[in-house]
Amino acid sequence: MKRALVIALLLAVAVPLLIAVADLPPHGSPDAPAHTHVAPRYLERGAEEAGAENIVTAVILNYRGLDTLGEVTVIFTAMAAVLAVLVGARAVTALDTPASALPVSMIVRFIVRVLAPFIVLFSIYVVLNGHVTPGGGFQGGTIAGALVIALTLIMSDEQAARLLPRRPERVLQAAAPLAFIMTGVTGLLLTGDFLGYPVGHESALVATLMLTFVEIGIGVGGAMVIATIFRTMGAGR
Amino acid sequence: MIAALWHNIDYAACVVLFCIGLYTVITKHNLIKKFMGLNIMETAVFAFIVATGVVEGGNAPIMGPGVEPPFINPLPQALILTGIVVAVSTTALALGLVIRIWHQCGTIEADELREAE
Repeated sequence: MKRALVIALLLAVAVPLLIAVADLPPHGSPDAPAHTHVAPRYLERGAEEAGAENIVTAVILNYRGLDTLGEVTVIFTAMAAVLAVLVGARAVTALDTPASALPVSMIVRFIVRVLAPFIVLFSIYVVLNGHVTPGGGFQGGTIAGALVIALTLIMSDEQAARLLPRRPERVLQAAAPLAFIMTGVTGLLLTGDFLGYPVGHESALVATLMLTFVEIGIGVGGAMVIATIFRTMGAGR
Repeated sequence: MIAALWHNIDYAACVVLFCIGLYTVITKHNLIKKFMGLNIMETAVFAFIVATGVVEGGNAPIMGPGVEPPFINPLPQALILTGIVVAVSTTALALGLVIRIWHQCGTIEADELREAE
């Protein structure tokens, strides 16, 4: 009975979706509506207008910068919410087992140690080259955050606590929204629009610098947020 | 109908993935498995929207010397980058709540939680 209900529900979702999907313009056709409105303009003018050769970055940080400002606020808020839910709320239950350090295999430890510097280098490369190659602040920040997680796994708690800078921690966690708002205000002063970037050939360098600054802010903030969330969740193990 | 679906097999695959996620959400009782299902559904939607941006034989939308049109549509990619980050944020918050439930109730099985009420 229950299984029949599940199958009925799945069919009720899948069949209309499949019919709708069959009616869409063929996959990859260049004259589909998705490609004929605003995208051609981004492709034609993006590189000169936005100061980034990578049009995806241009769209994210320049044309739709406010959208991305909201997005970095969302990840910061998520981290704040995780901290609010978990920190200081460790109810004593019978299930709290004494913290036992899991023995980590020597192979894992060695490989993480060897790869760590290269991962750092790669994440910096991805952050700084976001406007000319695939990549950007979020991607590079995630790589760095993943490295912090990998290092936390092979280290003892005291060592791992020293991985993240202690004192300006809150500032670094909020780095992404802060860098974004600072750039927005700079744009306000330079062009009269919040998040406006100077347009033109002679000021292309300024626009690129502003983009890079936002990328670095997003990278640092993203890595800190991911590492903090992981640390908070693992704190009670 | 079948021929049209064959042209859009990428989109159809996204629909199948979406249904797998939905199946996980409605049949599993473990809260973490439910959130995995939710993540699969999110992934299906992301894959679908990114797939709408594909242009046959298109290049990556990165300008520079020696790149020729046609380009892949950059807009879906940019929107989905935002979507992925928001999905990660909601997943983090959801897992935080699951940990809290585990500490408070000692179980994360939805049916056991309902009994415990």
